[in-house]
Amino acid sequence: MPEIINLIRRLRFDNGEMTQEALAVRVGVTRQTIIALEAGKYTPSLALAFRIARAFNKRVEDVFQYEVPIKE
Amino acid sequence: MNAEQKRAWLGVVTGIACVVGYVALVPFLGPMAATGAFGLYGINGFAGFIGRKERADERDRSIARRATLGGAMASYMAFILGCMGTWFIAFAWLGKEQVSVHLLGTITFVGGIVFYSVRSTVVLVLYGRHMEADNA
Repeated sequence: MPEIINLIRRLRFDNGEMTQEALAVRVGVTRQTIIALEAGKYTPSLALAFRIARAFNKRVEDVFQYEVPIKE
Repeated sequence: MNAEQKRAWLGVVTGIACVVGYVALVPFLGPMAATGAFGLYGINGFAGFIGRKERADERDRSIARRATLGGAMASYMAFILGCMGTWFIAFAWLGKEQVSVHLLGTITFVGGIVFYSVRSTVVLVLYGRHMEADNA
């Protein structure tokens, strides 16, 4: 099953160790949503993905990547 | 715990209270009159006062939508099974050709309780899965 992976956690630390709460406020969601995103438990809408990318001054594809797991 | 989870807990607790109340009243009032215990579910109306100012984001709305869909499916199934089951028991087991019209109201009410109880449970389960990430 294909999965969307993200680099939110790493980008937060690369951006002055931005807290989850700060990112959440910036993109207009709750901290719990950022936690779920970082853990790969929730796939964001396209609009939220763009807002997150913009918060890091990155392109969407620099933050979110489409990964097809290798079949065993 | 956000407002949606608090409302879900209220739904689960009142749903359990209804079932416990009904079972407790049956020996004293009989199966029909004991359905008065379902009135306890009215307490769930206070859910509207929980977290009115709390903002919901897209994940909250997604969870609420999935839970509502699950609740509606379970409720519909409970209603249809209740209706068909009533006829089946009356005709096949009891040999009756008629059933009390009061049963329709009871089945409808049970369908409503199933809707809110299942919706509340799904909300708690989905938030619980996300909380695993929080605790990891």
